[in-house]
Amino acid sequence: MRAVKAILLVLLLGWAFAASADVAVPQLTGRVVDRTGTLSSSDVAALSQKLGDFEKRKGSQIAVLIVPTTDPETIEQFSIRVAEAWKIGRKKVDDGAILVVAKNDRHLRIEVGYGLEGALTDVTSRRIIDEVITPKFREGDFAGGISAGAERMMRVVDGEPLPAPSRSVNFANLDDIGPLLPVALFASLIVGGFLRTLLGRLLGSVATGSVIGLLALLILGSGALALLAGIIGFVLSFIADLFPASTGTSRGGSWSSGSSSGGWSSGSSSSDSGSFSGGGGSFGGGGASGSW
Amino acid sequence: MRKILTVLAALASLSLTNCGYNAIQSQDEQIKANWSEVVNQYQRRADLVPNLVNSVKGFAQQEKDVLLGVTNARAKVGSIQASPEVLNDPAALQKFQAAQGELSSALSRLLVVTENYPQLKSDALFKDLMSQLEGTENRITVARNRYIKSVQDYNVTIRSFPSNLTAMMFGYKEKANFTVENEKEISTAPKVDFNAPAPSK
Repeated sequence: MRAVKAILLVLLLGWAFAASADVAVPQLTGRVVDRTGTLSSSDVAALSQKLGDFEKRKGSQIAVLIVPTTDPETIEQFSIRVAEAWKIGRKKVDDGAILVVAKNDRHLRIEVGYGLEGALTDVTSRRIIDEVITPKFREGDFAGGISAGAERMMRVVDGEPLPAPSRSVNFANLDDIGPLLPVALFASLIVGGFLRTLLGRLLGSVATGSVIGLLALLILGSGALALLAGIIGFVLSFIADLFPASTGTSRGGSWSSGSSSGGWSSGSSSSDSGSFSGGGGSFGGGGASGSW
Repeated sequence: MRKILTVLAALASLSLTNCGYNAIQSQDEQIKANWSEVVNQYQRRADLVPNLVNSVKGFAQQEKDVLLGVTNARAKVGSIQASPEVLNDPAALQKFQAAQGELSSALSRLLVVTENYPQLKSDALFKDLMSQLEGTENRITVARNRYIKSVQDYNVTIRSFPSNLTAMMFGYKEKANFTVENEKEISTAPKVDFNAPAPSK
Protein backbone atom coordinates (compact mmCIF):
# COMPACT_ATOMS: atom_id res chain seq x y z
CA MET A 1 0.00 0.00 0.00
CA ARG A 2 2.77 2.35 0.93
CA ALA A 3 4.58 1.49 -2.28
CA VAL A 4 1.48 2.36 -4.26
CA LYS A 5 1.25 5.69 -2.50
CA ALA A 6 4.88 6.41 -3.21
CA ILE A 7 4.43 5.63 -6.87
CA LEU A 8 1.38 7.87 -7.03
CA LEU A 9 3.30 10.67 -5.39
CA VAL A 10 6.14 10.31 -7.86
CA LEU A 11 3.70 10.39 -10.75
CA LEU A 12 2.03 13.51 -9.41
CA LEU A 13 5.38 15.19 -8.91
CA GLY A 14 6.15 14.37 -12.49
CA TRP A 15 3.05 16.34 -13.42
CA ALA A 16 4.18 19.29 -11.39
CA PHE A 17 7.52 19.34 -13.18
CA ALA A 18 5.99 18.88 -16.58
CA ALA A 19 3.71 21.82 -15.87
CA SER A 20 6.51 24.11 -14.76
CA ALA A 21 8.72 23.46 -17.79
CA ASP A 22 7.51 26.35 -19.98
CA VAL A 23 6.04 29.70 -19.13
CA ALA A 24 2.27 29.25 -19.21
CA VAL A 25 0.34 31.30 -21.74
CA PRO A 26 -1.23 34.18 -19.80
CA GLN A 27 -4.96 34.48 -19.80
CA LEU A 28 -6.40 36.90 -22.30
CA THR A 29 -7.90 39.41 -19.89
CA GLY A 30 -7.99 42.33 -22.29
CA ARG A 31 -6.36 43.81 -25.35
CA VAL A 32 -3.38 44.76 -23.23
CA VAL A 33 -2.08 42.09 -20.85
CA ASP A 34 0.73 43.31 -18.59
CA ARG A 35 2.18 40.66 -16.29
CA THR A 36 5.02 42.87 -15.10
CA GLY A 37 3.21 45.93 -13.80
CA THR A 38 5.18 48.11 -16.19
CA LEU A 39 2.26 50.09 -17.54
CA SER A 40 0.07 52.21 -15.32
CA SER A 41 -3.62 51.41 -15.35
CA SER A 42 -4.33 54.64 -17.24
CA ASP A 43 -1.80 53.62 -19.93
CA VAL A 44 -3.49 50.23 -20.24
CA ALA A 45 -6.91 51.81 -20.42
CA ALA A 46 -5.87 54.37 -23.05
CA LEU A 47 -4.14 51.79 -25.22
CA SER A 48 -7.00 49.31 -24.89
CA GLN A 49 -9.40 52.06 -25.90
CA LYS A 50 -7.34 52.85 -29.00
CA LEU A 51 -7.05 49.20 -30.00
CA GLY A 52 -10.76 48.69 -29.36
CA ASP A 53 -11.69 51.65 -31.54
CA PHE A 54 -9.41 50.33 -34.23
CA GLU A 55 -11.14 46.96 -34.18
CA LYS A 56 -14.54 48.62 -34.44
CA ARG A 57 -13.39 50.69 -37.37
CA LYS A 58 -11.22 48.20 -39.26
CA GLY A 59 -12.20 44.80 -37.86
CA SER A 60 -8.65 43.76 -37.19
CA GLN A 61 -7.58 42.77 -33.69
CA ILE A 62 -4.25 43.81 -32.18
CA ALA A 63 -3.17 42.70 -28.71
CA VAL A 64 -0.22 43.54 -26.48
CA LEU A 65 1.43 41.17 -24.01
CA ILE A 66 4.22 41.98 -21.57
CA VAL A 67 5.79 39.13 -19.61
CA PRO A 68 8.89 39.12 -17.39
CA THR A 69 10.61 36.29 -19.26
CA THR A 70 9.97 33.52 -21.78
CA ASP A 71 12.78 31.32 -20.47
CA PRO A 72 13.56 28.47 -21.31
CA GLU A 73 11.86 29.07 -24.67
CA THR A 74 12.88 31.67 -27.18
CA ILE A 75 10.48 34.54 -27.69
CA GLU A 76 9.46 33.07 -31.08
CA GLN A 77 8.43 29.74 -29.55
CA PHE A 78 6.57 31.46 -26.75
CA SER A 79 4.74 33.96 -28.92
CA ILE A 80 3.49 31.36 -31.39
CA ARG A 81 2.07 29.44 -28.44
CA VAL A 82 0.37 32.61 -27.24
CA ALA A 83 -0.96 33.25 -30.73
CA GLU A 84 -2.34 29.72 -31.01
CA ALA A 85 -4.02 30.00 -27.62
CA TRP A 86 -5.45 33.51 -27.98
CA LYS A 87 -6.58 33.25 -31.62
CA ILE A 88 -6.43 37.01 -32.11
CA GLY A 89 -7.98 38.19 -35.37
CA ARG A 90 -11.13 37.23 -37.19
CA LYS A 91 -11.65 33.64 -38.18
CA LYS A 92 -10.77 32.96 -41.85
CA VAL A 93 -9.58 36.57 -42.29
CA ASP A 94 -6.75 35.92 -39.79
CA ASP A 95 -6.13 39.62 -39.35
CA GLY A 96 -4.60 39.58 -35.91
CA ALA A 97 -1.27 40.75 -34.59
CA ILE A 98 0.33 40.49 -31.16
CA LEU A 99 3.12 42.62 -29.76
CA VAL A 100 4.99 40.45 -27.24
CA VAL A 101 7.56 41.98 -24.89
CA ALA A 102 9.78 39.90 -22.59
CA LYS A 103 10.97 42.65 -20.32
CA ASN A 104 13.77 40.98 -18.35
CA ASP A 105 15.04 39.13 -21.43
CA ARG A 106 15.08 42.45 -23.31
CA HIS A 107 13.46 40.79 -26.30
CA LEU A 108 10.33 41.73 -28.16
CA ARG A 109 8.43 40.35 -31.10
CA ILE A 110 5.60 41.29 -33.41
CA GLU A 111 3.66 38.12 -34.23
CA VAL A 112 1.60 38.55 -37.38
CA GLY A 113 -1.45 36.54 -38.46
CA TYR A 114 -1.71 35.03 -41.94
CA GLY A 115 -4.08 37.71 -43.19
CA LEU A 116 -1.78 40.59 -42.25
CA GLU A 117 1.45 39.12 -43.58
CA GLY A 118 1.04 41.19 -46.73
CA ALA A 119 0.89 44.48 -44.81
CA LEU A 120 2.92 43.81 -41.69
CA THR A 121 5.67 42.00 -43.56
CA ASP A 122 8.77 40.75 -41.79
CA VAL A 123 10.63 43.82 -43.00
CA THR A 124 7.96 46.27 -41.85
CA SER A 125 7.68 44.56 -38.50
CA ARG A 126 11.42 44.72 -37.97
CA ARG A 127 11.44 48.39 -38.90
CA ILE A 128 8.69 49.14 -36.41
CA ILE A 129 10.71 47.32 -33.77
CA ASP A 130 14.05 48.89 -34.64
CA GLU A 131 12.96 52.41 -35.46
CA VAL A 132 9.90 53.04 -33.33
CA ILE A 133 9.88 50.80 -30.28
CA THR A 134 13.42 49.95 -29.19
CA PRO A 135 14.77 53.55 -29.15
CA LYS A 136 12.11 54.37 -26.55
CA PHE A 137 12.75 51.14 -24.66
CA ARG A 138 16.42 51.99 -24.38
CA GLU A 139 15.47 55.20 -22.62
CA GLY A 140 13.28 53.21 -20.27
CA ASP A 141 10.05 54.59 -21.74
CA PHE A 142 8.08 51.35 -22.03
CA ALA A 143 4.62 52.88 -22.13
CA GLY A 144 5.66 55.30 -24.88
CA GLY A 145 7.42 52.60 -26.93
CA ILE A 146 4.52 50.20 -26.76
CA SER A 147 1.87 52.74 -27.61
CA ALA A 148 3.95 54.22 -30.43
CA GLY A 149 4.58 50.70 -31.77
CA ALA A 150 0.92 49.75 -31.57
CA GLU A 151 0.02 53.04 -33.22
CA ARG A 152 2.38 52.33 -36.11
CA MET A 153 1.05 48.79 -36.47
CA MET A 154 -2.48 50.16 -36.72
CA ARG A 155 -1.42 52.64 -39.37
CA VAL A 156 0.24 49.92 -41.42
CA VAL A 157 -2.79 47.64 -41.15
CA ASP A 158 -5.03 50.57 -42.09
CA GLY A 159 -3.46 50.59 -45.54
CA GLU A 160 -4.52 47.00 -46.10
CA PRO A 161 -7.91 46.33 -47.66
CA LEU A 162 -9.73 43.99 -45.29
CA PRO A 163 -13.34 42.86 -45.08
CA ALA A 164 -15.46 45.38 -43.20
CA PRO A 165 -16.06 44.67 -39.52
CA SER A 166 -19.35 42.91 -38.92
CA ARG A 167 -21.84 44.29 -36.46
CA SER A 168 -22.37 41.03 -34.66
CA VAL A 169 -19.89 39.41 -32.33
CA ASN A 170 -17.90 36.47 -33.62
CA PHE A 171 -19.57 33.12 -34.07
CA ALA A 172 -16.60 30.88 -33.48
CA ASN A 173 -18.67 28.82 -31.06
CA LEU A 174 -21.37 28.23 -33.60
CA ASP A 175 -18.91 26.91 -36.15
CA ASP A 176 -17.47 24.49 -33.65
CA ILE A 177 -20.76 22.98 -32.63
CA GLY A 178 -22.31 23.03 -36.09
CA PRO A 179 -21.49 19.40 -36.90
CA LEU A 180 -22.92 18.28 -33.55
CA LEU A 181 -26.33 19.75 -34.16
CA PRO A 182 -27.88 16.96 -36.24
CA VAL A 183 -26.59 14.36 -33.82
CA ALA A 184 -27.94 16.31 -30.86
CA LEU A 185 -31.38 16.68 -32.42
CA PHE A 186 -31.48 13.04 -33.35
CA ALA A 187 -30.44 11.98 -29.88
CA SER A 188 -33.00 14.21 -28.23
CA LEU A 189 -35.67 12.70 -30.45
CA ILE A 190 -34.81 9.15 -29.51
CA VAL A 191 -33.96 9.72 -25.86
CA GLY A 192 -36.97 11.98 -25.43
CA GLY A 193 -39.34 9.43 -26.90
CA PHE A 194 -37.89 6.73 -24.74
CA LEU A 195 -38.01 8.68 -21.49
CA ARG A 196 -41.49 9.96 -22.21
CA THR A 197 -42.97 6.52 -22.56
CA LEU A 198 -41.10 5.47 -19.44
CA LEU A 199 -41.82 8.42 -17.13
CA GLY A 200 -44.82 10.13 -18.63
CA ARG A 201 -44.91 13.31 -20.60
CA LEU A 202 -43.96 16.02 -18.11
CA LEU A 203 -41.42 14.05 -16.11
CA GLY A 204 -39.93 12.48 -19.23
CA SER A 205 -39.54 15.84 -20.90
CA VAL A 206 -37.88 17.30 -17.84
CA ALA A 207 -35.51 14.33 -17.74
CA THR A 208 -34.69 14.73 -21.44
CA GLY A 209 -34.07 18.44 -20.99
CA SER A 210 -31.68 17.88 -18.12
CA VAL A 211 -29.83 15.09 -19.92
CA ILE A 212 -29.33 17.31 -22.95
CA GLY A 213 -28.36 20.28 -20.80
CA LEU A 214 -25.78 18.18 -18.99
CA LEU A 215 -24.34 16.91 -22.25
CA ALA A 216 -24.18 20.44 -23.63
CA LEU A 217 -22.38 21.56 -20.48
CA LEU A 218 -19.83 18.79 -20.89
CA ILE A 219 -19.23 19.41 -24.57
CA LEU A 220 -19.41 23.19 -24.73
CA GLY A 221 -18.32 24.12 -21.22
CA SER A 222 -20.70 27.09 -21.15
CA GLY A 223 -23.47 27.31 -18.57
CA ALA A 224 -25.70 29.67 -20.54
CA LEU A 225 -25.55 27.54 -23.68
CA ALA A 226 -26.19 24.38 -21.68
CA LEU A 227 -29.26 25.91 -20.04
CA LEU A 228 -30.55 26.97 -23.42
CA ALA A 229 -29.97 23.53 -24.88
CA GLY A 230 -31.71 21.95 -21.92
CA ILE A 231 -34.76 24.17 -22.32
CA ILE A 232 -34.90 23.46 -26.03
CA GLY A 233 -34.65 19.76 -25.31
CA PHE A 234 -37.46 20.00 -22.79
CA VAL A 235 -39.76 21.92 -25.09
CA LEU A 236 -39.01 19.62 -28.02
CA SER A 237 -39.75 16.45 -26.17
CA PHE A 238 -42.77 17.99 -24.47
CA ILE A 239 -44.48 18.92 -27.71
CA ALA A 240 -43.07 16.04 -29.75
CA ASP A 241 -46.16 13.82 -29.63
CA LEU A 242 -48.52 16.69 -30.38
CA PHE A 243 -47.62 16.13 -34.00
CA PRO A 244 -49.34 13.12 -35.48
CA ALA A 245 -46.81 10.39 -36.03
CA SER A 246 -48.14 9.62 -39.53
CA THR A 247 -47.03 12.97 -41.03
CA GLY A 248 -43.37 12.22 -40.84
CA THR A 249 -42.30 14.98 -43.20
CA SER A 250 -43.93 17.87 -41.42
CA ARG A 251 -42.36 16.65 -38.24
CA GLY A 252 -38.89 16.67 -39.69
CA GLY A 253 -39.41 20.20 -40.96
CA SER A 254 -40.49 21.54 -37.65
CA TRP A 255 -37.45 20.13 -35.87
CA SER A 256 -34.81 21.72 -37.95
CA SER A 257 -36.33 25.08 -38.63
CA GLY A 258 -37.89 25.72 -35.25
CA SER A 259 -35.10 24.97 -32.89
CA SER A 260 -31.61 24.77 -34.22
CA SER A 261 -30.69 27.98 -35.97
CA GLY A 262 -32.39 30.50 -33.71
CA GLY A 263 -31.47 28.91 -30.43
CA TRP A 264 -27.76 28.36 -30.90
CA SER A 265 -26.88 31.66 -32.49
CA SER A 266 -28.55 33.79 -29.85
CA GLY A 267 -26.90 31.71 -27.17
CA SER A 268 -23.40 32.10 -28.47
CA SER A 269 -23.68 35.82 -29.15
CA SER A 270 -24.99 36.58 -25.69
CA SER A 271 -22.19 34.65 -24.04
CA ASP A 272 -19.56 36.55 -26.01
CA SER A 273 -20.62 40.10 -25.33
CA GLY A 274 -18.62 42.23 -22.94
CA SER A 275 -15.07 41.04 -22.41
CA PHE A 276 -12.45 40.79 -25.13
CA SER A 277 -11.72 37.47 -26.81
CA GLY A 278 -9.88 36.31 -29.89
CA GLY A 279 -11.98 35.85 -32.98
CA GLY A 280 -10.33 32.63 -34.17
CA GLY A 281 -7.51 34.00 -36.30
CA SER A 282 -4.55 31.76 -37.08
CA PHE A 283 -0.84 32.45 -37.20
CA GLY A 284 2.01 30.85 -39.09
CA GLY A 285 5.07 32.36 -37.44
CA GLY A 286 5.26 35.56 -39.50
CA GLY A 287 6.63 38.78 -38.08
CA ALA A 288 9.94 39.86 -36.65
CA SER A 289 11.86 39.89 -33.40
CA GLY A 290 14.23 42.35 -31.90
CA SER A 291 15.94 43.32 -28.70
CA TRP A 292 17.11 46.43 -26.94
CA MET B 1 -40.83 -0.31 -38.86
CA ARG B 2 -39.87 3.18 -39.73
CA LYS B 3 -38.64 3.82 -36.20
CA ILE B 4 -36.49 0.72 -36.22
CA LEU B 5 -34.96 1.82 -39.50
CA THR B 6 -34.12 5.27 -38.13
CA VAL B 7 -32.51 3.74 -35.08
CA LEU B 8 -30.53 1.36 -37.27
CA ALA B 9 -29.38 4.21 -39.47
CA ALA B 10 -28.28 6.17 -36.43
CA LEU B 11 -26.34 3.21 -35.11
CA ALA B 12 -24.73 2.61 -38.49
CA SER B 13 -23.55 6.20 -38.74
CA LEU B 14 -22.28 6.04 -35.17
CA SER B 15 -20.28 2.90 -35.84
CA LEU B 16 -18.81 4.55 -38.93
CA THR B 17 -17.41 7.33 -36.76
CA ASN B 18 -16.23 4.83 -34.17
CA CYS B 19 -14.24 2.62 -36.50
CA GLY B 20 -11.94 5.55 -37.17
CA TYR B 21 -12.32 5.68 -40.93
CA ASN B 22 -13.37 9.31 -40.92
CA ALA B 23 -10.69 10.22 -38.41
CA ILE B 24 -8.03 8.63 -40.59
CA GLN B 25 -9.31 10.50 -43.63
CA SER B 26 -9.32 13.90 -41.97
CA GLN B 27 -5.97 13.40 -40.27
CA ASP B 28 -4.42 12.16 -43.49
CA GLU B 29 -5.67 15.28 -45.22
CA GLN B 30 -4.39 17.42 -42.36
CA ILE B 31 -0.92 15.92 -42.77
CA LYS B 32 -0.96 16.72 -46.47
CA ALA B 33 -1.96 20.31 -45.77
CA ASN B 34 0.72 20.73 -43.13
CA TRP B 35 3.31 19.16 -45.39
CA SER B 36 2.41 21.59 -48.15
CA GLU B 37 2.99 24.40 -45.70
CA VAL B 38 6.42 23.00 -44.83
CA VAL B 39 7.37 22.76 -48.49
CA ASN B 40 5.90 26.19 -49.15
CA GLN B 41 8.08 27.79 -46.49
CA TYR B 42 11.19 25.94 -47.63
CA GLN B 43 10.43 27.20 -51.12
CA ARG B 44 10.17 30.72 -49.76
CA ARG B 45 13.62 30.34 -48.26
CA ALA B 46 15.02 28.94 -51.49
CA ASP B 47 13.58 31.93 -53.36
CA LEU B 48 15.37 34.31 -51.04
CA VAL B 49 18.76 32.71 -51.58
CA PRO B 50 19.64 34.22 -55.01
CA ASN B 51 18.92 37.76 -53.79
CA LEU B 52 20.89 37.16 -50.67
CA VAL B 53 23.87 35.77 -52.56
CA ASN B 54 23.76 38.76 -54.91
CA SER B 55 23.70 41.32 -52.15
CA VAL B 56 26.58 39.61 -50.35
CA LYS B 57 28.53 39.32 -53.61
CA GLY B 58 28.54 43.10 -53.98
CA PHE B 59 30.44 43.54 -50.74
CA ALA B 60 32.35 40.31 -50.23
CA GLN B 61 33.56 39.23 -53.63
CA GLN B 62 36.47 37.27 -52.17
CA GLU B 63 34.25 34.79 -50.26
CA LYS B 64 33.79 32.72 -53.37
CA ASP B 65 33.82 29.30 -51.68
CA VAL B 66 31.07 30.16 -49.27
CA LEU B 67 28.90 31.78 -51.93
CA LEU B 68 29.43 28.83 -54.22
CA GLY B 69 28.48 26.46 -51.39
CA VAL B 70 25.17 28.26 -50.88
CA THR B 71 24.42 28.33 -54.60
CA ASN B 72 25.13 24.61 -54.97
CA ALA B 73 23.02 23.70 -51.94
CA ARG B 74 20.22 25.85 -53.35
CA ALA B 75 20.41 24.07 -56.68
CA LYS B 76 20.25 20.70 -54.97
CA VAL B 77 17.19 21.67 -52.98
CA GLY B 78 15.48 22.74 -56.17
CA SER B 79 16.08 19.40 -57.84
CA ILE B 80 14.38 17.31 -55.16
CA GLN B 81 10.72 16.39 -55.46
CA ALA B 82 8.64 17.27 -52.43
CA SER B 83 5.20 16.00 -53.45
CA PRO B 84 2.98 14.50 -50.74
CA GLU B 85 3.96 11.03 -52.00
CA VAL B 86 7.29 11.65 -50.31
CA LEU B 87 5.48 11.16 -47.01
CA ASN B 88 4.92 7.48 -47.63
CA ASP B 89 8.55 6.91 -48.45
CA PRO B 90 10.92 7.41 -45.49
CA ALA B 91 13.98 7.29 -47.76
CA ALA B 92 12.68 10.12 -49.96
CA LEU B 93 11.78 12.18 -46.92
CA GLN B 94 15.28 11.57 -45.62
CA LYS B 95 16.72 12.87 -48.87
CA PHE B 96 14.53 15.95 -48.80
CA GLN B 97 15.59 16.74 -45.26
CA ALA B 98 19.25 16.15 -46.00
CA ALA B 99 19.15 18.64 -48.87
CA GLN B 100 17.35 21.27 -46.79
CA GLY B 101 19.76 20.69 -43.94
CA GLU B 102 22.67 21.24 -46.31
CA LEU B 103 21.19 24.57 -47.40
CA SER B 104 20.71 25.51 -43.76
CA SER B 105 24.33 24.91 -42.88
CA ALA B 106 25.58 26.62 -46.06
CA LEU B 107 23.50 29.66 -45.15
CA SER B 108 24.83 29.67 -41.63
CA ARG B 109 28.40 29.62 -42.98
CA LEU B 110 27.51 32.57 -45.18
CA LEU B 111 26.13 34.50 -42.24
CA VAL B 112 29.24 33.84 -40.20
CA VAL B 113 31.32 35.26 -43.06
CA THR B 114 29.16 38.39 -43.36
CA GLU B 115 30.10 39.26 -39.80
CA ASN B 116 33.43 40.44 -41.21
CA TYR B 117 31.87 43.07 -43.46
CA PRO B 118 30.46 45.98 -41.43
CA GLN B 119 29.49 47.82 -44.61
CA LEU B 120 27.43 44.87 -45.77
CA LYS B 121 25.80 44.54 -42.38
CA SER B 122 24.60 48.13 -42.45
CA ASP B 123 23.34 47.88 -46.03
CA ALA B 124 19.57 48.49 -46.07
CA LEU B 125 18.81 45.87 -48.69
CA PHE B 126 20.86 43.26 -46.89
CA LYS B 127 19.14 44.10 -43.61
CA ASP B 128 15.73 43.64 -45.21
CA LEU B 129 16.78 40.33 -46.73
CA MET B 130 18.02 39.22 -43.34
CA SER B 131 14.74 39.94 -41.62
CA GLN B 132 12.93 38.08 -44.39
CA LEU B 133 15.24 35.12 -43.97
CA GLU B 134 14.80 35.26 -40.22
CA GLY B 135 11.02 35.33 -40.55
CA THR B 136 11.10 32.48 -43.04
CA GLU B 137 13.24 30.32 -40.78
CA ASN B 138 10.72 30.91 -38.03
CA ARG B 139 7.84 30.00 -40.33
CA ILE B 140 9.68 26.81 -41.28
CA THR B 141 10.00 25.92 -37.61
CA VAL B 142 6.32 26.53 -37.00
CA ALA B 143 5.28 24.58 -40.10
CA ARG B 144 7.53 21.68 -39.15
CA ASN B 145 6.12 21.62 -35.63
CA ARG B 146 2.59 21.49 -36.95
CA TYR B 147 3.51 18.76 -39.38
CA ILE B 148 5.12 16.73 -36.61
CA LYS B 149 2.03 17.08 -34.45
CA SER B 150 -0.36 16.06 -37.22
CA VAL B 151 1.74 12.99 -38.06
CA GLN B 152 1.72 12.10 -34.40
CA ASP B 153 -2.09 12.30 -34.25
CA TYR B 154 -2.41 10.22 -37.38
CA ASN B 155 0.04 7.55 -36.22
CA VAL B 156 -1.71 7.27 -32.87
CA THR B 157 -5.04 6.80 -34.63
CA ILE B 158 -3.59 4.16 -36.93
CA ARG B 159 -2.06 2.20 -34.09
CA SER B 160 -4.83 2.33 -31.50
CA PHE B 161 -7.78 -0.03 -31.32
CA PRO B 162 -10.19 -0.25 -33.09
CA SER B 163 -9.09 2.15 -35.79
CA ASN B 164 -5.98 0.03 -36.39
CA LEU B 165 -8.27 -2.62 -37.91
CA THR B 166 -9.75 -0.07 -40.28
CA ALA B 167 -6.28 1.14 -41.18
CA MET B 168 -5.18 -2.43 -41.86
CA MET B 169 -8.23 -3.09 -43.99
CA PHE B 170 -7.65 -0.02 -46.17
CA GLY B 171 -3.87 -0.24 -46.13
CA TYR B 172 -3.06 2.97 -44.29
CA LYS B 173 0.51 2.88 -43.00
CA GLU B 174 2.33 4.95 -40.45
CA LYS B 175 3.81 8.17 -41.84
CA ALA B 176 7.44 9.06 -41.48
CA ASN B 177 8.21 11.95 -39.20
CA PHE B 178 11.22 14.20 -38.92
CA THR B 179 13.89 12.04 -37.35
CA VAL B 180 16.33 12.60 -34.52
CA GLU B 181 19.18 13.01 -36.95
CA ASN B 182 17.39 15.97 -38.41
CA GLU B 183 16.57 17.41 -35.04
CA LYS B 184 20.31 17.89 -34.83
CA GLU B 185 20.25 19.77 -38.07
CA ILE B 186 17.71 22.14 -36.60
CA SER B 187 20.07 23.01 -33.81
CA THR B 188 22.70 24.02 -36.33
CA ALA B 189 20.23 26.09 -38.34
CA PRO B 190 21.55 29.41 -39.54
CA LYS B 191 21.97 32.12 -36.97
CA VAL B 192 20.26 34.86 -38.87
CA ASP B 193 20.37 37.35 -36.02
CA PHE B 194 23.29 39.62 -35.90
CA ASN B 195 22.68 43.29 -35.63
CA ALA B 196 21.27 42.46 -32.21
CA PRO B 197 22.26 39.89 -29.60
CA ALA B 198 20.45 36.70 -30.59
CA PRO B 199 16.78 37.63 -31.01
CA SER B 200 16.10 34.23 -32.56
CA LYS B 201 18.57 32.06 -30.71
